[in-house]
Amino acid sequence: MTSRTSHNARFGAPENAMVFAAGIRKSYGHFEVLKGVDLEVPEGNVACIIGPSGSGKSTFLRCINHLEEINGGVLLVDGDFVGYRLNGNKLYELPPAAICARRAEIGMVFQQFNLFPHMTVMGNLIEAPVRVRGERPAAARERAMTLLERVGLAQKHDAYPRSLSGGQQQRVAIARALAMKPKVLLFDEPTSALDPELVGEVLTVMKDLAQSGMTMVVVTHEIGFAREVADQLIFMDEGVVVERGSPREMIASPQSRRTKEFLARVL
Amino acid sequence: MADSAYKAPANATDTTALVVVPLRHPFRIAAITMVVISVAAILYSVFTNKEFQWPIVGHYMLNPIILRGLATTITLTVAVMIIAVIIGTIAALMMLSPSRLLSVPARVFVWLFRGAPALVQLILWYNLSIVFKTITLWLPGVGTIFSVQTNDVMTPMTAAIVALSLHEAGYMAEIVRSGLNSVVRGQTEAALSLGMRPALSIRRIVLPQAMRLIIPPTGNEAINLLKTTSLVSIIAVGDLLYSAQAIYARTFETLPLLIVVTIWYLITVSVMSFGQYHLERYFSKDDRKTGRGRSRGILRRIFSFRQRAAVA
Ligand SMILES: Nc1ncnc2c1ncn2[C@@H]1O[C@H](COP(=O)(O)OP(=O)(O)O)[C@@H](O)[C@H]1O
Ligand SMILES: [Mg+2]
Repeated sequence: MTSRTSHNARFGAPENAMVFAAGIRKSYGHFEVLKGVDLEVPEGNVACIIGPSGSGKSTFLRCINHLEEINGGVLLVDGDFVGYRLNGNKLYELPPAAICARRAEIGMVFQQFNLFPHMTVMGNLIEAPVRVRGERPAAARERAMTLLERVGLAQKHDAYPRSLSGGQQQRVAIARALAMKPKVLLFDEPTSALDPELVGEVLTVMKDLAQSGMTMVVVTHEIGFAREVADQLIFMDEGVVVERGSPREMIASPQSRRTKEFLARVL
Repeated sequence: MADSAYKAPANATDTTALVVVPLRHPFRIAAITMVVISVAAILYSVFTNKEFQWPIVGHYMLNPIILRGLATTITLTVAVMIIAVIIGTIAALMMLSPSRLLSVPARVFVWLFRGAPALVQLILWYNLSIVFKTITLWLPGVGTIFSVQTNDVMTPMTAAIVALSLHEAGYMAEIVRSGLNSVVRGQTEAALSLGMRPALSIRRIVLPQAMRLIIPPTGNEAINLLKTTSLVSIIAVGDLLYSAQAIYARTFETLPLLIVVTIWYLITVSVMSFGQYHLERYFSKDDRKTGRGRSRGILRRIFSFRQRAAVA
């Protein structure tokens, strides 16, 4: 898929791992938020992460696309480090331009949508392809229309984000992430800020994406979505993975007491 | 109360016959009377007092020296404002930098140049030549690249522009900083997650949104600055005030000339306030017309970020 040499084998990851995290540690000052988190997402798979608030789910996602620097562990996306270049046994920190280029391959969808309010829907979609990738505006616009059709919002291309409903805004945000042709999409509670009746339309788009073979890491409280779509389910608490496995089995018969208690609360 | 469903009983007073008697405000009437009398008295004394010499005021309004002074004042204001916005924006970005090596010097800069009075800084820069006789660029190995007498470079106009720009930049830095701070963190994260570089995300995402909060106080600053530039008359820059002083030093028509100066300042400030009022209205309109398609005209396109949403 890439011209880069994959480091997957060297770090004991399967050849097809799109996201590989081993022993990820992250601290803010003296407070350790992530205490050795492992994750392996093969290409085309969907991993759902659940867990109580404050357990470090968002922090973990932000480590994957290097919005946060990790303090320990190995994190590979598509077989390579996001913020570093491996040479022998040394990791050289990449210059900002190189980090941004790598980060562009990792899409992210936020709880609060974070659309750019001063740009139209179309402006939101073509901003990064044009300014970061140097695509021709006409070509970027054409592709953006295709993506908007895919999320069912082609007629809204000229609208400003604030005139859209939360569900529509989140679908635009997904299309915006897709416009960069990412290798993997990270979702941070994409439906938590939505009115209940708007959750469905966003989940539908996400299911469609999963079926089309997009690699996805989804932090969510939508257990139904996890059961139906996810290839693996991860339960995190206090910075560690407490339990992982097949979604159906884990939801039906959780092994750990903490998982049991958490599922009882959200189901 | 015409079409009300309320049916009055037969013996009720006819509501259409009711008359409202407004409350009397005796103190208000007294106050208004006093204000009117005072204003009339002041106007009378001003216009009848020979000292004001109104014909002379009219005579000097369009005097070439006065107009040249006015041009200098406006040029100075525009130049200083442009430099101050540039330096202030740089200082604001430095203050927001996570690196202390950048943020601390920027804070010290703001503290120093905003803290010291403009007049003091003006005289200080003007007198710089006393402390530093020559300005020399010297590189080890290469030797002297150039050397100039400070007196040649630090003309009164240069001193005025430098001093006022640095002073004003201190204020602009704070204005820009609070504007940038008002843009929620998620906007930067979204930009970064799309692969935008920090500089690009500031230019394309954060600054356009911050503008809404930056523009109105900047208008205030420009109006204040116009008046502050009158300080430069003290170091013999030929601004509006200095030109008037130069004339009345010969003719002793002090009062009429100061009235000329006042009128010109008021006219300029009024024009600026008018502009500011419209700018502010532009930015407080808060997107009633969202999704209305492309903005027309260049100004509209430049300011089309007013269509900003209050994303939670
Ligand atoms: N920038 C930060 N500085 C300090 N502490 C933080 C920061 N970001 C997150 N935390 C802390 O890390 C913990 C995990 O946060 P987060 O990853 O957002 O949890 P989750 O997404 O699972 O609710 C929380 O206790 C939070 O207060
Ligand atoms: Mg979170």
